[in-house]
Order: sequence, then structure tokens, then C-alpha cells
Amino acid sequence: MLRKPQYIALGILALLGLILLSLPESATQRAKLALTGLFLPLFGFAESTQSAARRAGNSVVPREDLVRELEQLRAEKQKLEFSHAQSQEAVRENDRLRKQVGFPARAPWKLKPARVIARDPANWWRTVFIDVGSKDAVRVDMPVITPDGLVGRVSVVGATRSQVVLLGDQNCRVAAKVEETKENGVVVPYATDPAIVTLTYLSRGSPVKSGQSIVTSGLELKPGNAVLTSGLGGVFPAGIRVGEIVDVRNVGFGLYQEARVKLAVNLNSLDHVWVVAQ
Amino acid sequence: MSRLEIISILLTAWLAVGFEISFDGFRHWFGAQVSLLPALMVHVALSSSLSSVALLAIVGGLAHDSFSANPLGVTTLALAFTGTLLHFKRDLVLRDQVYAQVLMGFLASSLVPAGVVLALMNTQQPVPLTARLAAQWFVMAAGGAVATPLIFRIFKHLNRWFSYQPLPESHYRATRQIKRT
Repeated sequence: MLRKPQYIALGILALLGLILLSLPESATQRAKLALTGLFLPLFGFAESTQSAARRAGNSVVPREDLVRELEQLRAEKQKLEFSHAQSQEAVRENDRLRKQVGFPARAPWKLKPARVIARDPANWWRTVFIDVGSKDAVRVDMPVITPDGLVGRVSVVGATRSQVVLLGDQNCRVAAKVEETKENGVVVPYATDPAIVTLTYLSRGSPVKSGQSIVTSGLELKPGNAVLTSGLGGVFPAGIRVGEIVDVRNVGFGLYQEARVKLAVNLNSLDHVWVVAQ
Repeated sequence: MSRLEIISILLTAWLAVGFEISFDGFRHWFGAQVSLLPALMVHVALSSSLSSVALLAIVGGLAHDSFSANPLGVTTLALAFTGTLLHFKRDLVLRDQVYAQVLMGFLASSLVPAGVVLALMNTQQPVPLTARLAAQWFVMAAGGAVATPLIFRIFKHLNRWFSYQPLPESHYRATRQIKRT
């Protein structure tokens, strides 16, 4: 039966559980970030192991391959320089026109590279930890992207680490639009497949009929249509790629449409990401 | 609770959580991450004291929740509940038998996530109960069932290496020596 030390152990456990569950959100987040500090040696070990493996891999690559790759990269760099010069001209033109019509100038993105250091151990949440924090000027709600598209947003910020809530988590909803039809909707999780999200609250895309009071784009949503962030809501800047439509169906007794969207980024193999400081 | 026991529990809990946050293999192969904490809890609950159960629940649960979007402490309570249940029924379990370890691992690894999900249903962020969640739950339970006998074996070796092993008694006794005169 229970002895005195066992009563004490159970009592401490119950008390600790109650205290922790009743802590305010800010205190919980600080406590969580402090606890993650215990795993810093592990992150350091993982990083040094990866870099050692990379160095070992680099040392066995044949010189011919490296030279060939260098040539390819030089050619690609030249192409990108031409493209950059063209786009700079377009940016300057855009700035001139904005000034003429009195629009405020669009601030360029400041991108901060970050490495994914840990994943959420619980299967029902989709969050990761990255190795940048408030010391690197990262703030809550900053968008996180890769060259392929949107990843999520920063949800908790520590001094040197931050938690990112990924697309497809119920705490990450994104205002998005279909590029081809300009239909606006909200990206919400899709329960069955982690590589897919739902773009919901889309207006019916049927062609406009005479006497119809609801004005839609008049274009049908089709599989393969690109979905981008719309910029509504103020968290995510407009134009970041979310994914492409897989299929569309009518919901809410035909009041609006929902589209399943295949994510542009493979969230299961995230390694390096970029935090967008607008 | 000996110092060796405290250190080994803390270290294995730390390693188990470190494995969960940094190893993605199970997610790629089976669509769910396998947690080693319930399997560890089976070993501690069946072969150690209630204080050890509490220690593992606190350390493992807090470390697990600190990397998760779970409310802090919810895994601690689920682990503590499972560990206490197993500890009080430990006399009924043939803990040296592999099939018993597998069954207890399956039970604990299904009870802990179920307890967490149940607790989350009463929060502002309930987890949607879907077929995918059920499949993930089964993967976690099966993973725990496989991991439990391995953990028992590892601890058996650790115990053999680091703790005092009494020498087997010899049949020779000086008092029974036949002296020929």
C-alpha cells in the first residue's frame, strides 16, 4: 500500500500538474523556452555531426564533378544577373508610377536564414523550432518561407530559438487567393492528409448570369490553379505561393466552395527556412 | 531511490525526448512519431518505486511539452496516471516475460496519448478526432510495444554494468571440512 514518501511524490505531482496547467500563457511560454535550453547540447551535437558528415561527403566528391557544377552555376549566375537587371528596371518603374499616383512605396522583404532544430513530438500539432530568436530581430507572427513557398508563421519567440506553427496546423490560418480567378478564401487544415490544406469560403465560381446579385469572378476553379497569399489579415504579405488546387466542391448547401490545395512546400523534410521581416 | 537510478531516469528521459524531436524517420515511414516515454514508464513503474514514476513523469512530461504546442504539464499528468496504474498492478504482471513487456508497452503507449488528447478536448484547442489520428494512435501504441522489451534489455545491461552484483555462494564451507587426522 502507499507509504509516506509515495504520498508525498503523488502529492507533489498533482500539485505541479495543477500549477502548470493554470499558469498564464506568457509564463508557460517562458517556461517552455527555458526547458528547451536543456537540449542545447543535443542541438550542438546534431549540428556538428551533420557538418562533419557534410565535410566527409565533400572530401570524396571527384574534382571533375565539382568543375562541371561550377560551370553550371556560373551560367546560372549570369542568367540570374540579366533577370535581376530586368526586374530592377521594373522595380524602379513601379516606384516611379507609385510616386506619381501617390501610393506608398512597397518595403522590400528582409530575409533571415534559419535552421530547423526540432520538431513537435506530438503528432496532432504541426510546429517546429528554428535557431533564430529575438536576438536576431525575429518577432511573433513573422511569416516563414522557403524558395518553394509558404511554411508558416512564428508563434513563440525566445532569445535564440523560436517556435514556428506550420501550414496545416489548426493555429495557422492564412488568407489566400487563387491566382487565376482572384477568388479569396482562408486556408485551414485538412484532417486526412498532412500534405494538403483546404482553401475554404471561396465564392461560387459559376459564370455570372443575368440578374444574379452575388458578383463572382465568373471563372471556374480548376485543378492546377495556383494559390497564393492574398495579404489580407496583415500577417502574410501578398504573393507567397501556398500550393495548387487538387479539386473543388460545393459546401454550405452550395453557398460557397472549398478547394483542396496541395502544399508547395514539403513540410516533412524542412531543413532550412527563411523568416520574412517585413 | 539510488543515485544511479535517478541519473539513469533523467538521462534516458532526456535522450527519449531528444530522439523524438530530432529523428523524423517514423514520420516519413509510418506517418506518426513514436514516443519512447511510455515504454520507459513501463520499465520504471514495474521495477522501481513510485518516486521514480513521479520523477520520470515530471522530467519526461515537461521536456516533451516544452517542444510541443501542448499545454505545459498535460503529458506529465498522462504519464503519471499510466505509471501509477501500472505500479499498483505490478504484482500481477510477469515483467520478465517479453510478451508481458510488449503488452504493457502497447497499453501504456496507447493510454498516454489518449490521456493527452482527452485532456486537450477540455481546452480551447481541442484536437480534431479523425481517422488519421486513430491511425497515428495505433502507430504510437505499436511503436511503444516494440520499444518496451528493448528498454527492459538496455536497463538490464546497465544494471549489470553499474550496480553491485553479489558473488554466487560457494559450496565450500570451512566448518564442513573433513579433516583427516
